[in-house]
Amino acid sequence: MNTMMQTRSAKRIIDWAIIACMMLLAIGMLLPFLWLFSMSFRSVSDAYKMPPSFLPPSLDLTNYWAVLNSKVPFIRIYANSVMIAVVVTIGQLITCSLAAFAFSRLKFRGRDAMFFILLVGLMFPAQVTILPIYLGYARTGLVNQPMGLALMYLTSSFGVFLMRQFMVSQPKALEEAALMDGAGYIKIFWRISLPQLRPALSALGIITFTQTWNYYFQAKVLLGKQDQMTLPLAMDVLRGYLGAGNLSVVMAAMSLSILPVVLLFLIAQKFVIEGITMSGIKN
Amino acid sequence: MTAIDVSRNRPSELSRAQARTGYLFVLPTAVLYLTFVLAPVVVTCILAFAYFDPMLGSHWVGFDNFARFFSDRRSLQILSNTLRFTFFAVTFNVAIGLVLAIALNRMMPSWLLYFFRLSFFLPVIIAAAFVSIVWSYLYGDDLGVINYYLRLIGLPGVRWLTDADQAMTSIIIMDVWKNTGFFMIIFIAALQGVPKAIIEAAVMDGTPAWRQFVRITLPYISPVVFFCIVYASIGALQVYESIVILTQGGPGDTTRSLSILIVEEGFGSFQIGYAAAISVVMTAIILVITAIQQLLSRRWVQQ
Repeated sequence: MNTMMQTRSAKRIIDWAIIACMMLLAIGMLLPFLWLFSMSFRSVSDAYKMPPSFLPPSLDLTNYWAVLNSKVPFIRIYANSVMIAVVVTIGQLITCSLAAFAFSRLKFRGRDAMFFILLVGLMFPAQVTILPIYLGYARTGLVNQPMGLALMYLTSSFGVFLMRQFMVSQPKALEEAALMDGAGYIKIFWRISLPQLRPALSALGIITFTQTWNYYFQAKVLLGKQDQMTLPLAMDVLRGYLGAGNLSVVMAAMSLSILPVVLLFLIAQKFVIEGITMSGIKN
Repeated sequence: MTAIDVSRNRPSELSRAQARTGYLFVLPTAVLYLTFVLAPVVVTCILAFAYFDPMLGSHWVGFDNFARFFSDRRSLQILSNTLRFTFFAVTFNVAIGLVLAIALNRMMPSWLLYFFRLSFFLPVIIAAAFVSIVWSYLYGDDLGVINYYLRLIGLPGVRWLTDADQAMTSIIIMDVWKNTGFFMIIFIAALQGVPKAIIEAAVMDGTPAWRQFVRITLPYISPVVFFCIVYASIGALQVYESIVILTQGGPGDTTRSLSILIVEEGFGSFQIGYAAAISVVMTAIILVITAIQQLLSRRWVQQ
């Protein structure tokens, strides 16, 4: 019994030693973010002075004003990013939950084949679809239109898959009862299934928003003009425009650009993690 | 039986209503998927066999585009860069993610777990385009933050991005910093799914921790490991913005990837057929990796 107690306390010590190591590592992971945030408050003339700061030296907002007043139309670009991300997120919530309801609750011919074909889409990289999409957009005037980028992501195989996974794990008793009472499928979807789906909708919403906010390859090909850009593209332009001296200003723009995603994650970490593990584990 | 089924009483009417609603609900996704995924993939496969010029006329070239890709030294180097990046990025992302998950898979206060998830997952959710710009400053030769600290402790600075032998390694390091947290999160969930009773029995028997892991835990989570390897490979093969921003593919062509080549050929030189062929090659690699995973995981699960 005594040795048991000893091994147990030894195990506790090892546990805490590992946790302490992980703590150091975790802080290390955060250093680039602490650096970029702190640098955004340094005056431009101190930008490259060593040692670098990992805590804001002051709360002077000069660099933030410089971003808003630079030659790059930052506010316009920010609005583009918000617009595209919001449209795509709402679009996917609608299309993916509708399709997931059909795939998990309704029977119709070709259902399983259609679902399979949709899943195959998870394997196609953007690189293999972008050339025809560009050619088609060039013909229809959708190149250099932020909405053109949004249009191609209004549904996703991943979204349908995630929502269906969640729906399959939900009980159907309420829906069946409503059906017995003579409710139509559209009403059942809207009144009973959707409210049950709230956690999955949150997860998909956050993942989609983040993903759309971060698109670079597709945006680089389709959006060339500064007025039509999204933030990931603009950051590179801004870096070139301002030259090497204005590191602090670029970091101010960067802080503003990552803010929505960071906030979203701080508030709703649980949903993001659940959504990701749900899609990863049950594959 | 996955569908709501009370149709036995009024079979035809209800099942017809089901079918009608089913098609209606799938319609938006089907139309968009057809327009923006399936049709483009088919068109790309066709373009890969053509010389495409909408102004001056297009013609079929058979396998010429593929022959050009596989006989050109530069494109072969770029293919090998991409495969090398994929191999190392996937290995380290998945392995380190697993080690981190094992380290975190123990009792701890919930605020601590929140903090760990936050710090390891934050790089995952921030755009590669953003973090690459940050790292381009951290990696600087003379004014870089990392070299400052190296010199502070008496080590020579490293030419992180300008040395042809170092640049790819630097890109992989950043990639692992950025992505390993994703796999950590997935592995934490997988580890929690390993039945506690089996582990406790092994502990009672005095099985050493290492053997416990190899004999019990690893077989149990192996499907998840396979999933992570495939998922990581699909992502890594497409690597684009981190390289564009950190090195522009240089020094020379030492870090240029297939995605960069596709954009350069397709949208820079308007060699659309050739760019299509390169993207078909990339997709073929992804399909092969996925097929291997399906075969392997079926075998493992059966054992």
